[in-house]
Amino acid sequence: MVPLYGIKCAVNLITTHFGDLVAKVCECLLRKGPLTLQATVRFTELTSSQVKNCLLVLIQHNCVQAFVLEQSVEHGDAAKANTQYIALFDNIIHRWRFNKFLTIVSQNLDKQCVDLLEALLQHGRLTLKQMSDRAKSVQNEGDDVILDAVQEAVIKLLNAHFIERCPASEPVITNPTKQEVSARKRAAKSAKIFEEQETLEQRVVEAAAPSEALRFLLVAQTEPAADGGKDETNSSIVTPGEKRKRDALESETEYGAADEQVVLWRVNFEEFIRRLRHKACVENVKTRLDDGAVTVLKAMLEATRSTEKKVKTDNSVPLSLNSIYEEVIKSEEGRNITFDRVRAALIQLSCPPFVIAANESYSIDFKKIIELAQNEEVESIVLKRYGRDAYRMFRLLSNSGHLLETDKIADATFVEKKETPKILYKLWKDDYLQMEKLQVTGAKRLSQFLLWKVNKNILREHVLNEMFHAALNLVQRVAFELEPEKEMLNIPRDKLLNRQRKVRLLLESSHMKLDDAIMLFHDF
Amino acid sequence: MSAKRKRPGPASDSLVTEHEKTVHEVIRSKKDMGASQWEMKREINVADNIITKCIKSLLSKNLIKEVKSIQSRGRKHYMSAEFEPSSEITGGAWYVEGSLDTEYINVLKEQCWRKIYGMKVATLEGIADALRRSNVSQIELSKQQVEEIVKALVLDNQVMEVKSTGTGEFASIPVGKVCYKCIGKRGYGGEPKLGALASIPCGVCPQISRCTPDGIISPNTCAYYQKWLDF
Repeated sequence: MVPLYGIKCAVNLITTHFGDLVAKVCECLLRKGPLTLQATVRFTELTSSQVKNCLLVLIQHNCVQAFVLEQSVEHGDAAKANTQYIALFDNIIHRWRFNKFLTIVSQNLDKQCVDLLEALLQHGRLTLKQMSDRAKSVQNEGDDVILDAVQEAVIKLLNAHFIERCPASEPVITNPTKQEVSARKRAAKSAKIFEEQETLEQRVVEAAAPSEALRFLLVAQTEPAADGGKDETNSSIVTPGEKRKRDALESETEYGAADEQVVLWRVNFEEFIRRLRHKACVENVKTRLDDGAVTVLKAMLEATRSTEKKVKTDNSVPLSLNSIYEEVIKSEEGRNITFDRVRAALIQLSCPPFVIAANESYSIDFKKIIELAQNEEVESIVLKRYGRDAYRMFRLLSNSGHLLETDKIADATFVEKKETPKILYKLWKDDYLQMEKLQVTGAKRLSQFLLWKVNKNILREHVLNEMFHAALNLVQRVAFELEPEKEMLNIPRDKLLNRQRKVRLLLESSHMKLDDAIMLFHDF
Repeated sequence: MSAKRKRPGPASDSLVTEHEKTVHEVIRSKKDMGASQWEMKREINVADNIITKCIKSLLSKNLIKEVKSIQSRGRKHYMSAEFEPSSEITGGAWYVEGSLDTEYINVLKEQCWRKIYGMKVATLEGIADALRRSNVSQIELSKQQVEEIVKALVLDNQVMEVKSTGTGEFASIPVGKVCYKCIGKRGYGGEPKLGALASIPCGVCPQISRCTPDGIISPNTCAYYQKWLDF
């Protein structure tokens, strides 16, 4: 579920980047869920042509995905199919993070790749031809040279999974019949599997996505390589006529070799979020352990990144000690690390359990690292907002995971019994704690006890909403500070400009730091 | 002619003494828990002013004493002279005169942290031994009391609880035994890393739930922002 202030942030972003009309359509889809064109026209009170243009802009920039929802045939009814549009909240919020994505590319690839990625971020989707035309307009080189350079950059970006083929424009989703739904539930129950219900958004995105075989593949219109064999460095490039996975390609009628010129490419947000997740894990471990442990963790992340099927993976693929050592010594910081030091670092990483050892292989416990980081973020808020006593109480309840009575909390945290309920009440009023009343009939009278608890799932949603609220405040304040009316105030221009520069720097850097925390709670 | 109040005669004297006896019996029956005046009123159906008089008299005769109770919350508490107040009403080792002995607790916490820091990894027994040997506390601390202090350090995020793996730094500790280590790279009393939301005004703001983009409380009108951006 998207937090209320998350929607406000998304609308603010779209307004800033594309204007009020597009933002109105986007907000309608975010608040009401997937809608047909007609329904969107009705709710926004815009003309059909206006809504269509807005949807095109949003689709171009990967903020909306169209799909066809086919209602299953039931009891002899005719199948109904209509095109609907669903807002992709995550992709909208990623628009804040474009500079972070560019930084990652600049740390890993050359300037040509950075420029190409910037173009894709700016335009949403581009064909190879559009990328070349753009490069031609800024560079003074021959057409062939430019095309080769662009193609080379595209291949590098594809190999790193930084860009991908655009999804299908209108995938078909079928709504299961009532019988199918109950049959699925019964099967899950009997197998004792907890089946996490996929949201409609997840189903649409999955249905629209190109197959894994094609997603990072560029089918080039060039002659086969002279050596006749597969070039390992160009694993993303396949020439027609080469032996390849024919079934995968032939079944993708939209992506036949003849259509490669019109294939649209876009930024693969998933890979950037994965890299940022890894970066966050390293940062968190850095605050607790030494450089050796951090180097070993980085090596494990590097070695297993390409095997991750989804961003929110709980554990990395297990690695043996030898594989880890081989990866460690590849890096600059790990060049001089000994085998024994790697083994010692892995023991360090097991306490707290960032790395799990089983059957002589090691895997990173992402879930644990992320959970610890989330706890630290929330505890920091409690400490600053409510004080040290509240901090101890909150940690006690958070660690115990169940209801505790007021006096027990007072004893464990060394706080006066008469002060304890006041602090707990403040935390409860601001939705950081849950409270239950227990009435016990004693020998002569009725006693009332108050029990307190931290509900981590509810709290996470609440804190995430506060973070989006704070992010929107920062963005709003920047706009306020840079208003032209400020120049009318009786302040010397150079002083005003200097202040505006400092203020902007502080607000924007705070926003980016807060965005790291938002990703911690929402995307990681 | 105003009538002068008669002095209480021998008959009224024995009535007061009788009540004193009853009040004293009630207090004595509560042993080391004692009783407040309110509790006495419930047990013996006698007027408040008579109970007050009895208490005053018994106090002056040193038959009862006043004690501080952490449960009474402001009400005075009385106990028969021959008893010592139980830890249930004194609060135990951590309370003095009915209030938490914060200074004593803080000294113990710091000393405990230093012992754990020195040992790198410590069991509860190890910490208790170290404290005993250094004579930090004039009163001998029980293992349970040491555990309470160590657990408070865990809540302060100064120390973490771990299980021994039997290898490396845990080599001298049996596998699975609970032990304690100092956290991270900061010294005693160092604050944990400041979170992203906590480092901006909104993170600390008590009014965040009432703040709206166009409201009376908004980022444009916010006094905390003004102060933060006042270079």
